Amino acid sequence: MTSIPMEYYLVLSGFMFSVGIVGVLIRRNAIVVFMSIELMLNSANLTLVTFSSYLGNVTGQVFVFFVMTVAAAEAAVGLAIIIAIFRNKLTVDIDKINIFKW
Amino acid sequence: MSLYDIIFYLFAAITILSGFIVVTSKNIVYSAFSLLFTFFGVAGIYVLLGADFIAIVQILVYVGGILILLLFGVMLTNKITNVDIRTGTIHVLPGAVAVGVLMGLLLSAMVWTEWKTQPSETPVTTTVTLGRLLITDYILIFELLGILLLIALIGAASIARREQE
Amino acid sequence: MYQNSTEIFQMMPFIIIGAGILLSIAVEMSIKKSELILPWFSILIFAVSAVISIAGIQQESVLFGGMIAAGGKAAIFNFIFNVGAALVVLNSVDYIKKYGTYYGEYYILVQSSVLGMMMMSGAKDIIMIFMGLELMSICFYVLAGINRKKFSANEASMKYFLLGAFATGFVIYGIALIYGTSATTKIDDIISGFNRLITNPLFVAGFIFLLIGFSFKIAAFPFHMWVPDVYQGSATTVTGLMSTTGKTAAFSVFIIILAAIFSTHSINKFTPYFAAIASLSMLYGSIVAISQDNVKRMLAYSSIAHAGYMAIGLAAGNISSESGIIFYLAAYTFMNIGAFGIVSIIEGENDTQLGISSYAGLGNRNPVLAAFMALFMFALAGIPPLAGFFGKYYVFIGAIEGGLTWLAVIGVISSVISVYFYLRVVVYMYFREPQEEIKIYSDNLSLSAVVVSGLLVIIFGLFPDTLLNLITSALIR
Repeated sequence: MTSIPMEYYLVLSGFMFSVGIVGVLIRRNAIVVFMSIELMLNSANLTLVTFSSYLGNVTGQVFVFFVMTVAAAEAAVGLAIIIAIFRNKLTVDIDKINIFKW
Repeated sequence: MSLYDIIFYLFAAITILSGFIVVTSKNIVYSAFSLLFTFFGVAGIYVLLGADFIAIVQILVYVGGILILLLFGVMLTNKITNVDIRTGTIHVLPGAVAVGVLMGLLLSAMVWTEWKTQPSETPVTTTVTLGRLLITDYILIFELLGILLLIALIGAASIARREQE
Repeated sequence: MYQNSTEIFQMMPFIIIGAGILLSIAVEMSIKKSELILPWFSILIFAVSAVISIAGIQQESVLFGGMIAAGGKAAIFNFIFNVGAALVVLNSVDYIKKYGTYYGEYYILVQSSVLGMMMMSGAKDIIMIFMGLELMSICFYVLAGINRKKFSANEASMKYFLLGAFATGFVIYGIALIYGTSATTKIDDIISGFNRLITNPLFVAGFIFLLIGFSFKIAAFPFHMWVPDVYQGSATTVTGLMSTTGKTAAFSVFIIILAAIFSTHSINKFTPYFAAIASLSMLYGSIVAISQDNVKRMLAYSSIAHAGYMAIGLAAGNISSESGIIFYLAAYTFMNIGAFGIVSIIEGENDTQLGISSYAGLGNRNPVLAAFMALFMFALAGIPPLAGFFGKYYVFIGAIEGGLTWLAVIGVISSVISVYFYLRVVVYMYFREPQEEIKIYSDNLSLSAVVVSGLLVIIFGLFPDTLLNLITSALIR
């Protein structure tokens, strides 16, 4: 299929995963943290597809399909939570938001 | 260096660079748009790996769905609160060091592991196999996924709904 | 396909809960006064499902084309989830009335989270673990913020969501590496090849990622940062559900994926990891809880400490520690649901009356409530002959058998520390005069949930051998 060894794909996904973790750890904005989590999920999907195609086993791709659907559901819930927070923040003191401290 | 190699390196570079921008950019809109390139880069690599169906779903779900939701989130929250759209960073150094050590170990394990697999089959379309697996072996999970999506929608509507006075 | 009537019987709990969710949605859509129907309907399906699960404990069968196991230890877990959720629902009716915020989604989400937990505890395929985890977690994210007008609930929901999604990232990456190195997602195949696979560093890495992801869910020490805020910000009944059944579900996954270590005596390479999180969680939870004045926050830190005690069993990794963990989980679920039930009764509107000073003089004003609170505090502290004591005892015995005496010693030390803050509540109830006027709402349903939890805690404490033998026989089969 290609002359690229499997390790290259794995290292690429490993890099993406670590970039995602760094993002979660260092950023304070909830939406950016969520984007970093999406990076992590994408790198995990990439690992799954790599293994799936090199092992000749389609199960990995089935799992990727499930992960994508779940990620979409999570994104919907996450956006709803963000909207709820900012709706209440209109009436609540802005300085009270200490959500991004941990 | 064959054409495959060049395409791989191109997509890999796009993915990694835009991923860095997502994490480091001070402007949240830039972050969102670089995420678009990351998703496209990953989709390209899926094509290289012979996962045609997954590549299409990647573009449909991630670019067409999740990214749009994220952009909505950015715009809505920005308009409601007028908060500064630039976002800061916290404890960069300890986080980076911890992740660096962890990933160094992981990557060396990946490189040093002996892989028995042969990367030399001609790509065949996976859509038929995938579809068959989804409604045979994984039918229970597929049905559960339906419940999960329904519940996620109910939950999202419930949380985001305006109070009826 | 399913001619065997036992299999249909074993399948019933899943079908009942699944159909119950859809029926509840229909009821909520079409009937105005759904708040009079849904809680009782939820309790009914939970009770039926619990009874069927525990009745099928003797036969173990694999359902849905090798996806889910029923009977055996899964039956015990299903019993814990369903009874726990039924008690929480019973407790919620009055609590919701007190807050005046009835949302029909509440009961639907509780039912779905239980379905997710049942999927996790019976999983035979790693993908199933992931789906169950996500179904449970998404329900919990929403439930944490169900009081959408309350800012602290929004905040709790946000924090839980971000940390939960972060943990999901670890879980998926771990599953990806395990799949890549073992070329299968079937848990039985992974377990049978465990001794060969464990020499592969990437397999170990995948396992550690999976363990890290679930360590977030059990609220063990370095991954606990969300726990106090989320437990404090969420509605008290929801906290009762998350801190007990949610934790039980995560532990059931540990037990499933470590089955090779527990039952076939593979070398436990993960002992250092579990020993570290166990000792740190126990000490951290117990020490920080001392300085808490808010009872919900105190119970949150106590739940971190309890995760530590249970993780001792994972570090030991033998059959007696495994049954010890399951016993502990059953005991912890009911004593914690009872404790949170009382907190939800005492709690006033808008997060008032949550401080420990609100409990002053409770022994005179409401002797029944005070007696049960004292019972739960003694049980959580691990004072014999209550259920909590035997939970700790069995886990410590397992640790000593596994050659981890030092870990058991740390466990005993932190139990002694924890006696201080549990007994502080009792001292306030019986030996302090109330500083302020405390208004307690009439809560007959909540009180009955508390009484049932209390009776279970006493029964587990009086007949620990019976329950332990039941668990052990389910495990050995």
